Parts: sequence; structure tokens; C-alpha cells
Amino acid sequence: MAKDVPVVEMRNIRKNFGGVQALRGVDLVLQQNEVLGLVGDNAAGKSTLMKVLSGALIPDRGEILIEGKKVHMSSPWTAHKLGIEMVYQDLALADNLDVSANVFLGHEKPGIRIGPISIMDKHYMERETINLIDRLKIDIPSVRALVEKLSGGQRQAIAIARATGFNNKVTIMDEPTAALSVAAITKVLDLVRKLKEEGNSIIIISHRMEDVYQVSDRMMILRHGRKVRDCPVKGDLDEFREETVAYIIGARDDFAEGRNGDE
Amino acid sequence: MNKKELQSTFLRDVKESFVVNIREFGMYIALAAIVIIFTIATRNHVFLSSRNISNLINQAGYIAVLAIGMTLVIILRHIDLSVGYLSGFLGAIVGIAMTVWGIHDSLAIIIVLIVGVIAGLFTGFLVAQMRIPAFVATLAGWLGYRGALQLALIAKGSIAIPNEGFNAIGNGYIPDIPDIGILPGIHKVTLMLGVLLIIFFIFRSISARIKTQSYNFRVMDIKLFIIELILVSALIGGITWILAGFRGLSWTAVVVLVVVLIYNFIMNQTLLGRHIYAVGGNPEAAELSGISVKKITYTVFASMGMLSGLSGILYASRLHSSTTQAGQLFELDAIAAAFVGGASPTGGIGKVTGSVIGALVMMSLTNGMNLMNIDISYQYIVRALVLATAVIFDVATRRAGRGSVSELGK
Repeated sequence: MAKDVPVVEMRNIRKNFGGVQALRGVDLVLQQNEVLGLVGDNAAGKSTLMKVLSGALIPDRGEILIEGKKVHMSSPWTAHKLGIEMVYQDLALADNLDVSANVFLGHEKPGIRIGPISIMDKHYMERETINLIDRLKIDIPSVRALVEKLSGGQRQAIAIARATGFNNKVTIMDEPTAALSVAAITKVLDLVRKLKEEGNSIIIISHRMEDVYQVSDRMMILRHGRKVRDCPVKGDLDEFREETVAYIIGARDDFAEGRNGDE
Repeated sequence: MNKKELQSTFLRDVKESFVVNIREFGMYIALAAIVIIFTIATRNHVFLSSRNISNLINQAGYIAVLAIGMTLVIILRHIDLSVGYLSGFLGAIVGIAMTVWGIHDSLAIIIVLIVGVIAGLFTGFLVAQMRIPAFVATLAGWLGYRGALQLALIAKGSIAIPNEGFNAIGNGYIPDIPDIGILPGIHKVTLMLGVLLIIFFIFRSISARIKTQSYNFRVMDIKLFIIELILVSALIGGITWILAGFRGLSWTAVVVLVVVLIYNFIMNQTLLGRHIYAVGGNPEAAELSGISVKKITYTVFASMGMLSGLSGILYASRLHSSTTQAGQLFELDAIAAAFVGGASPTGGIGKVTGSVIGALVMMSLTNGMNLMNIDISYQYIVRALVLATAVIFDVATRRAGRGSVSELGK
């Protein structure tokens, strides 16, 4: 795959909920091995856009291209097969299972098959989980620890590791640092950097400007279902914050003119 | 490692495995306490006599198989109220099939198990497809199967089953080798099976421990491990010895053991079992991971239907007849057994082995109090207290267990 073909391209995505226009023709491009920060106020359309990309919502209009090929995203399962994984804000982990069971949830490695019944290769899964956890430097007591007994940061790390563990192309993180302690946030951000180092392409939704500033290569700001800014992340933090807030509250808008077919 | 350090890892592991497994230990302690109390309280310690224990296991059998299926249903956050009368109805069908239709015993059994699966799939359809809460859907089943049971037996009221082979399932015992002078009056095949089971258990525990060590996981302190091996072996040995003292292992016990082994294996070692736990723990996460919640729901209710059929067969066989009384309140006994056995009302948690112990606890209570001539009204109250205590204990230990992480492998 040529390096200059974007891993994800979303064109003119529209989505209405009844009379509410949640997305009014949004374009999004994610390059290979890029971390894109997606920023905006509540109800700006960030989560809706990402739900469209992860197959949880079907857009009214617009098209999605994965590595240059047009795709039809009809369910999270099709998105998953295309290599797009979303880490949900409410942590899609099964609390009653241990770490390795969660990492392999739905991808259990079958060993011997007896008719319709497949026996799991538990040791393979545990070994692979240990490798994954070690590689990503995630700090947990044991892959056999029940997820319900882990801290918020550890759980978030497991959820992210789970999403990136299966040769995916794009990982979407919805507020990965919300409701975490400062120490845990640092660890999650380290994890994001580590994943970029390993060649992952990542979209990260966050309210926390510092987090986006720290890990993103580029930033996209949404407001009222429209893209209002798309720029590389650079400069110092205070300037960046001030500028970003101006776009979030609507004081500035890069795409005000020439936007197609709005209102 | 010096002696003091050794001591401290031993104590730490004792403490840790107690905290982690308190729910399970609690259940075994409760069962032990019940056995001890009734043994002391009954005349001539008749509770612990070979004949009584053998009888108790046969009585618990038809509830135990229901409790196994119910455990899976409860893990999925559902409930099945229809299984009692479904079991009664299928018990009637098996009787009719053999006596009226003249079908061979084994074929009749297979037919009933298949009908059970179909009934279960229908419940699954209501719950998974129509999205009717399981409580309501199976309450309808409760009414419907009750009517069907009475309708099936409307001509005679009850059907006597003369088939000896069929009746042996609920009353018979496995054959023994002829007496050769050693251990007269003791069932030698049962003893041998018990010894084999102990060897199998020790072998599996040791190989699991070696494997765990090879992955550099922490394992239980060696002394604690040996104590565990000795305790479980002694338990299996004790039960075997008691059973061997009467007529040996009953066919009912064999049926229950086989069902336990199969279900325990499915729940712990297979993808299906993992998916059942995952759906019970977090249905949204499971669905997003590509697990079909619908398919799992169908499967679990179908298995429940099949086990209802098995329960009906065991009961009809035990009574040598199909009656309209069959199946009454079985569903509540099965649900109680599952909860006493550690299934969690919030779903995701429960063990097949636990539910069988739960069924034994509940049946021991009934049996022991009957031997003591305690009035049935008090019996219900005592059983209510035991059930409530088990669930309170469950909720309390779960809350206390939060935040304490164990590195010990299972």
C-alpha cells in the first residue's frame, strides 16, 4: 500500500436524527500512522462521526474509503473486519472475565474441534496476552486478574490493547482519558504514543486539550455538525489552547465560506 | 528461601485463596455444617448412613440437572420459570410414548430430549427474537406446560410405567463384579471408580500447576496445594466409601455426574462457554466483539429444555409412573439451588459444580429435617433462611472482594 493513500477518507458525511442535523457534510482524512485529535463541544458531532466510521451508525449520505477503496459500513462487525476498532467511552469490557479473556473476546483461539464445539487454546491466549501487555508496557498484576478488580486506567489500557491487538488499521478512542486520575492519564497517553510508534493510525476524541496537544499530529475541530478547523498540532500549549477554544465556541471558522449545501 | 519466608508465603496464600474463593468455601462449609448437624441430630446418625446418602443423591438428581441448566440461564441474566411443568409434561410424554405408543425405552428418551430442545428453542425465540422478558415468557410457559401436563394425563390421571430398564435410571445401581472374598458387602466397582476419580483429579491438578508455573505465573504455596489435594481426595474418597457401603453408585448419580462433567467442560474450556459468560457479563461488549447474543440465548434455553426433559425422565423413572404431580415447584428448587450454589442475580457469574452442590444443600435440608420429623411449615422457613443467607453472603463478599487483586491462577 502506497504511503500517500490515506488509511481513512470520509467524504461529505451527513446524518440526521429526526429534525436534528447531527452531521452536515463532514470530510475527514486520516493518514497512515497518524494520530488525529477530534475536538469539539458537546453535541458537535464527534461521537456521531466516529460511530459512523465504526459501523454503529449508518450515515444518510456520504462515502467512506478505507485505503482508497470505497466501503459500505453496515455494522460494527463489518467495520471490525475492515480493521477499524473503536474503544468505547463506557469501556466495552466484560467485568466477570479475566484480562486475557477480555483481550481475546470474540476472537478466542480455537484448539481442537468436536463437532460444533470448539475447545479454546487458553494457554496460547494467555501467552499472547502477556506478550501484548509487555510490549505495550501496560501495568497489570496478572493476565488472570478479573477485569472488575482493576483500576480505571488499567481497564482503559486493556480496552485499548484489545482494540489494537488484532492487526487493525485504525483505532478510534472515545474520551480515553475521561474519569481517570492524572497518573493514569499519563499512562494512557504513553500507550497512545507507543501505539503510534508501532505504526498504528489513531483517532482520539477528547475534551482535554492537553491530551490532544500531547499525542496528536493533527487536529480536527467540529462545531454544530461541521468541520471548522483542520490543522497540524504545533506551537506552545497556551497558544494552542486559546486558538482551539476560539474555534470550539464559534469565534473562528476556517470553512465558513464555500461550504457546500448548508442550511 | 529461609523457613520464616516459607511460612509467610504459606499464610499469605491461605489468606489470599480464602479471600478470593470465600464464596465457594462458604458453600462447602455450609454443606459440611449441614451434614454434621443432621448426623448428630438424627437418631443413630442415620443421616450419614449409606442408605440415606444414596437416597439423598437420587432425590437431588432431578433437581440437580435442572439447576445446571438454570445456572446458564441465570448467567445470561434471565430466568426460566417454565422448567418445572415442562419437566412434568415431558415425563408424561415419555410415559405415554412407552406404554401407549409402544415405543422402545431408549427411543422414547431420545424423543423426549428432542422435544425438550424444541420447547427450549421456543422460549429462546420469545426471549431473543421477540424480546419478551424471560420472566414473563417463561411464566406463560409455566401455565401452558401445566395445562399440557394435565391434558396429557387426562384419561387416566397417571400412567404406571412397567419398563424395568427405564425404571432402573431412577432406582437402579451400577453392576458390581462378583464377590471374591475381599471386602464383602462393599460395592467394589464404585470404590474403583472413586479411586480412579481421585487419581484423575490429582493428575489434572498437578499438570495444571506445572503448566501455570511454566508461564511464570505465581502458583499456590506447595503446602497449601498439597492440603487442597488431600482434602478433595478425602472428600471424594469419603463419599465413595459411603456409597459403596450400600448398593454402590446409582444410575441417577451417573447421569448427574456425566451432565456435570460435560457442562463444566463446556463452560470452562470451550468458546461456547466463554461466550455465554461474556454475554452474561456485558451483552453490549459481547455483541460488539462479534458474539451473537441471540444465538447464545437460543442455545442456553435449548439446553435448559433438554435438561428439563432429562429431569422429567429421572422423576418418572424414580416414581415408576408419569403423574400430574410431577414437576411441581421443581423450577423454584432449581433456581434456589443455583443461587445457593453461587450464581449471581446480576448475571455473568455462576458455576455448574456450584449449582449441583447447591442442589445437594437444599436436598440435605429437606432430607435431614424429614428424618428429624420437623414439620413441613418449619422446613420451608429454614430453607427460605438458607437461600436468603446465601444470596446476602454472595452480595456482601462480592462487594468486599472489589479492589483486591489476586495473582493466583485458578
